[in-house]
Amino acid sequence: MNYNWHWKVLLEMEPGGTGTYLHYLLVGLLWTLATALAAWVIALAIGAAVGTLRTTPLKWAVRLGNLYVEIFRNIPLIVQMFLWFFVMPELVPQGLGDWIKQMPPPWGSYVPAVLCLGIFTSVRVAEQVRAGIQSLPRGQRLAGIAMGLTEAQTYNYVILPQSFRIILPPLTSEFMNIIKNSSVALTIGLLELTGRARAMQEFSFRVFEAFTAATVIYLLTNLAVVLLMRAVEKKVRVPGLIAAAATPQAGH
Amino acid sequence: MISMNNVSKWYGSFQVLTDCSTEVAKGEVVVVCGPSGSGKSTLIKCVNALEPFQKGSITVEGISVGDPKTNLPKLRSRIGMVFQNFELFPHMTVTENLTLGQVKVLGRSIGEATEKGLKLLERVGLLAHKDKYPGQLSGGQQQRVAIARALSMDPIAMLFDEPTSALDPEMINEVLDVMVELAKEGMTMMVVTHEMGFARKVAHRVIFMDAGRIVEDAKKEEFFGTPRSERAQQFLSKILHH
Repeated sequence: MNYNWHWKVLLEMEPGGTGTYLHYLLVGLLWTLATALAAWVIALAIGAAVGTLRTTPLKWAVRLGNLYVEIFRNIPLIVQMFLWFFVMPELVPQGLGDWIKQMPPPWGSYVPAVLCLGIFTSVRVAEQVRAGIQSLPRGQRLAGIAMGLTEAQTYNYVILPQSFRIILPPLTSEFMNIIKNSSVALTIGLLELTGRARAMQEFSFRVFEAFTAATVIYLLTNLAVVLLMRAVEKKVRVPGLIAAAATPQAGH
Repeated sequence: MISMNNVSKWYGSFQVLTDCSTEVAKGEVVVVCGPSGSGKSTLIKCVNALEPFQKGSITVEGISVGDPKTNLPKLRSRIGMVFQNFELFPHMTVTENLTLGQVKVLGRSIGEATEKGLKLLERVGLLAHKDKYPGQLSGGQQQRVAIARALSMDPIAMLFDEPTSALDPEMINEVLDVMVELAKEGMTMMVVTHEMGFARKVAHRVIFMDAGRIVEDAKKEEFFGTPRSERAQQFLSKILHH
């Protein structure tokens, strides 16, 4: 490849006058993280609830959970992004819809992006949580019930603490997915890392530098996530339970 | 104390229990035996409603187990249960296993629950392991902790579901010893087991089951001396002469 690299472009001012292109991209990273983290909170909360409900004997809850999962699992992320951005404000009561549409940038894009990513990821978390719970021996639940714990207490103290330890590795993958998937939010106008890399190459015509920089920033970010999650896994590891926890994750 | 009247249970169209009736008096030790698949485990799991049954009635100290109005968690908290696979909570230390039910179900303070738990742990000879996790203990040790865990709730009766079946042979006795001691102290016990030595030593009565029915329900001496049913005779001759 014959290309004249010009890395100094990163230190040149971007046309908006907020600072250098590097600074511009790093602010994009902050938006990426802000989007991913907020969406992750939604994904974990809904995913844990839906995944748990799908393991209960409540038939209506199981059906409702299945329906939720199938809907949001089977629509492409980019389509969901458009639905949240263009269609959702029309479906809610008009006052709320107008308020959403009039939100100043970047919030008008940020809020739908967070909702979309959060719910898209929640069905994946729900599947992990369900699988984690179902991988436990049935006797664990019986032992909790037999000592007089209620069903809810048994989930709380016996089943969920074990399930979450088991599914920590796939949850790490999901968290990394949410960071990567947040780039789809550029399609509804959120200037996160990918959006800003694209804007940078449009202003400076330095397409390779812009996307190489974005690539490196994504790689470093996810490397940090991996290291962080490894530390978490180490912290919650139970002596004598390593083999038991690793088995259901074979091939992951 | 435990009274069963014509209990029947089906899994779909398959009948697992047929008209099972028996009584267990306070302080009595009843061994339930029989070939695999005869419904022994299912029967004792009906006593604390871990398994629902469709016909008949079971009462524990006058409280009906099958009544939908019965507070099942409260009833269960008064009946200790020991499982074949121990079912200690692997993410909790031995001490935490012993205090969970006391604190969350009985509302005892952590201090009180810990004191009680450690006393029981000493009794089963495992005080030195109080801070270990179940995965760091042998099967026999885990089962002794499980017995201590059940006792920590001050149960009025104990149910044992094949407590030694998952153990290596050399660990069976350490668990049986704890159970013998418990029986001698006058604990009301229903024990599903193939350990006929245990039955001979401490059981008051033996219930023999086959194909979901109670075929024989006799005093220990009668059962081992002259079992009435042919099925029980066959079973005994097989289990005692191997």
